[in-house]
Amino acid sequence: MTERRFTQDHEWVELSGDVATVGISNFAQDQLGDIVSIEFPEINSKFKQKDAMAIVDSVKASSDIYCPMDGTVIEVNEKLEEHPELINKSPYDEGWILKLNVSNIAQFDNLMTQEQYEKFVGENKG
Amino acid sequence: MKLIFEYDQQPTGHVEQIQAQLDLPKELKRENLPLPNVNEIDVVRHYTKLSKKNFGIDNNLYPLGSCTMKYNPKVSEELARLKGFASIHPHSPVKYSQGSLEVVWELQEALKEITGMDDVSIQPAAGSQCELLGIMIAKRHFEDKNEKRTKVIIPDSSHGTNPASVAMCKLDTITVRSDARGNMDFNEVKKQIGPDVALVMVTNPNTLGLYEENLLEIKDLAHKNGTLMYCDGANMNALLGISRPKEQGFDMMHLNLHKTFATPHGGGGPGAGALAVRSFLSDYLPVPRITKENDLFNLDYKKEKSVGKVHSFYGHFGILVRALCYIRIWGNQIRNVSESAVLNANYLFAKIRNHYHVPYDRRCAHEFVVSAKNIPNGGTVDIAKRILDYGFHPPTIYFPLIVEEALMIEPTETESKETLDKYAEVLVKIAAELREKPEIVKEAPHTEPSRLDEVKAARQPNLRWSPQ
Amino acid sequence: MNYIPHTKEDITQMLKEIGASSVDELIGDFKPRITSPLKLPEPMNEMQLVSYLSGLAEKNKIFKYFVGGGAYDHYSPAVVDHLIKRGEFMTSYTPYQPEASQGMLQAMYEFQSFICLLTGMDVSNASLYDGASALAEAVLLSSSYTKKRQVFVDDGLNPNYYEVLKTYCNGSDLEFTNKIDENTCCVISQNPDFYGNIKDLRPLVEKAHSNKALFITCINEPTSLALLKPPREYGSDIVVGEGQSFGIPLSYGGPYLGFLAVKKFLLKKIPGRIVGMTEDKSGNKGFVLTLQAREQYIRRERATSNITTNQALLALAATIYLATVGRKGLVDVAKNSYYKAHLLAEKLQKNGFEVLNEKYFYNEFCVKTPRPASEIFSQLLEQKIVGGLVVDDNRMIVCCTEKNSTADIDSYMEALK
Repeated sequence: MTERRFTQDHEWVELSGDVATVGISNFAQDQLGDIVSIEFPEINSKFKQKDAMAIVDSVKASSDIYCPMDGTVIEVNEKLEEHPELINKSPYDEGWILKLNVSNIAQFDNLMTQEQYEKFVGENKG
Repeated sequence: MKLIFEYDQQPTGHVEQIQAQLDLPKELKRENLPLPNVNEIDVVRHYTKLSKKNFGIDNNLYPLGSCTMKYNPKVSEELARLKGFASIHPHSPVKYSQGSLEVVWELQEALKEITGMDDVSIQPAAGSQCELLGIMIAKRHFEDKNEKRTKVIIPDSSHGTNPASVAMCKLDTITVRSDARGNMDFNEVKKQIGPDVALVMVTNPNTLGLYEENLLEIKDLAHKNGTLMYCDGANMNALLGISRPKEQGFDMMHLNLHKTFATPHGGGGPGAGALAVRSFLSDYLPVPRITKENDLFNLDYKKEKSVGKVHSFYGHFGILVRALCYIRIWGNQIRNVSESAVLNANYLFAKIRNHYHVPYDRRCAHEFVVSAKNIPNGGTVDIAKRILDYGFHPPTIYFPLIVEEALMIEPTETESKETLDKYAEVLVKIAAELREKPEIVKEAPHTEPSRLDEVKAARQPNLRWSPQ
Repeated sequence: MNYIPHTKEDITQMLKEIGASSVDELIGDFKPRITSPLKLPEPMNEMQLVSYLSGLAEKNKIFKYFVGGGAYDHYSPAVVDHLIKRGEFMTSYTPYQPEASQGMLQAMYEFQSFICLLTGMDVSNASLYDGASALAEAVLLSSSYTKKRQVFVDDGLNPNYYEVLKTYCNGSDLEFTNKIDENTCCVISQNPDFYGNIKDLRPLVEKAHSNKALFITCINEPTSLALLKPPREYGSDIVVGEGQSFGIPLSYGGPYLGFLAVKKFLLKKIPGRIVGMTEDKSGNKGFVLTLQAREQYIRRERATSNITTNQALLALAATIYLATVGRKGLVDVAKNSYYKAHLLAEKLQKNGFEVLNEKYFYNEFCVKTPRPASEIFSQLLEQKIVGGLVVDDNRMIVCCTEKNSTADIDSYMEALK
């Protein structure tokens, strides 16, 4: 597994060969508040980077999750159907959202490292 | 707290019992019906108890922004219940339904005069259904002109129904931001307008409670591009007798009869909508249309260009009766309603503005928006809950989305100066409480139950009673 | 009559506090302005208003109704109207502040429960505008869930419902199909249907499911649910319909009461308001609007429906009606309606009419008339009877409820002589 990298929309990605595991950052889950449900994409659906691919609902808000790298959905974390709170409790581990078969590995290099992301969040907090 | 399903008694019995045998085979017949049996006195006590756990305009000031919680005249309730109105079947022949048809006709004529528009349909069940209808009509209009237009421009302050209605019609929403004065940003509209834009949907006054200052320029721009202008008339309470949407340049608009025209909100409905259009769009309105010839009313279903029906019959007739009552009460003096609504809003605004953050420093229309972002130790939700402790209803909170910690306040014209003074006092007091003893605000309301666990309600839904 | 409580002094003081000299100044530069009073009649006081509207009401003639077709003349116990008129219910708004709305919220929870108990479904919302728009919403839901766009409508759907459905489908780019296959998103059947037929829908449900389509049962006359098999038991995924029979006045067609209930797996997709039970931090039970993130004010352009108001006060009326008549009373109403319809059908059959229903019917039936249907209809009208719904030159759909007494039925037969 590679290191974790981040998008400007607060998704994180970890790569293992061609398979990317995707979730949302701790900052994002905190902003959203208590998550109550998630709407997954279909298995085998294809997305391009920055396409809206899933929706996460909290009590008072609804947020799109954007695709971090071009790819095809191969697995979704079904545990989140019954336990959406895992995204809040464990956003980087048990709260993973889905896995993609990526078609353009090079896109990973243009995502932010953890350090860059933390700086990004700090600057934009205002 | 008892649910009605927990009663197991002898019901009072209101209709004749027939010992009839049903000649139905087993596979079509029901085996058991798990409903309760309750005696009438306990039905009355059960729901009377529930009513006491509820709050209406009849209790105290209820200043929800954009909802127009004005006094609901009781005479309208009596008149809607007249046998001739309440007991007439929708399949009653036209010849014997002339009274109903005249009510609808008169209401339509009055709404035409109020809005300046050429034609009206009162078939939609609500404002949002009017929006759906309006967008469908626009789509059909452009199809007939062989123009492919797939976009609708809305402001970032719009009601959620606007983009939802656009999405239901499979068109795309373009959201333009509001400028520093709270108006739709003309330059942003200019960037987005084009031959692929079907409609610009505007609420005026907008949800910030401000008259749109760039409206005429936006209208000119839209019309030059063949784009239609739609007015979300939820805030018509600021314009009655003062300005007409047709003259403001709108091609279509909707009215919420349960807002501006004082029909009761009923805990969430029923409402009623009226879609008013300029004559070039009349033929698209839903069928049947009401016609009048020599004092006789009729229903006309032969409108080939009509987009169809949105209601199984003619619309919310019972609500239309109440709206007509309200319009007849005010008659040609209806301007007083809006003038007083604007006066009341500006007065309450003046009384509290030094204690809250004011996002747009302008005179407001019939409602205003302030923000609690400058008040330490708590947020808008805490203020809202504490208002309940003082016996009032909170305003709309966290809307419009473009104002942080928003409170949207619409007192309406039926509130006295005395009531407004009391409410202002409460709002000022709570702001002070948050500074000095915030716990009493954070723990509000001091009711039973108090703040309910909405996360649990969503994560572990319990949405109905089930028999054991 | 003036509902504005201000005195002249009030207005002066208020303007002073604001720092303006007139209301006109508050409105400011907004253009264009109306410069003369609207061309509406002079204002009326309450007495004049009563006189005017009473005059209009008298122009409507209420006859004896033997007609249904989507609206049913049932008896509503006095207690229903009496309770919904309470100001705390009637003049309240949508319960966005649950602590001030526990009354209405509990009533909506009870309504949702009643609908589930009657239909056998898992979950219901807190009502939609009417049966027709509920059907349209069910179709949009089905399309969104299955990601397919073809809609199959079984014969016997109320034509007005079909018109409304057509309007919604045209707006949403959905199409009607006359075969059930892998492109079908939903199969719709009305039961009892427009002609009154009670149908065994199991084969049709089977066909829908084997093509991965959702099955929608549409009910116009829900008192039938007191006697008939709940749609869940024959496999419905969605049940929609019209609740007007539950104590809501005929009122020339509206406002009425749409309901929509689904199996659990569709919960996250249903439109409209839903009330849930929960607790506060001290463990006190209470009710809230829940799963609100589905709705338009949060989802905005990603919402599947734009619906806002529900028919809350009418859902309350229906809830009180069902509580008041109870299980026994509802069965009485249904048996009575069934019996009267079959009694009239039998008499008509003996007098030159032909009952066209295939086999079983509830409280509506279709007859072939011995003379032109419009002639029969006019003959009955002369005796102040609306004898049915004329559907073509020689067919009429006749309806009975508990309000049609045996004497009324005799008068009907007399009028045909």
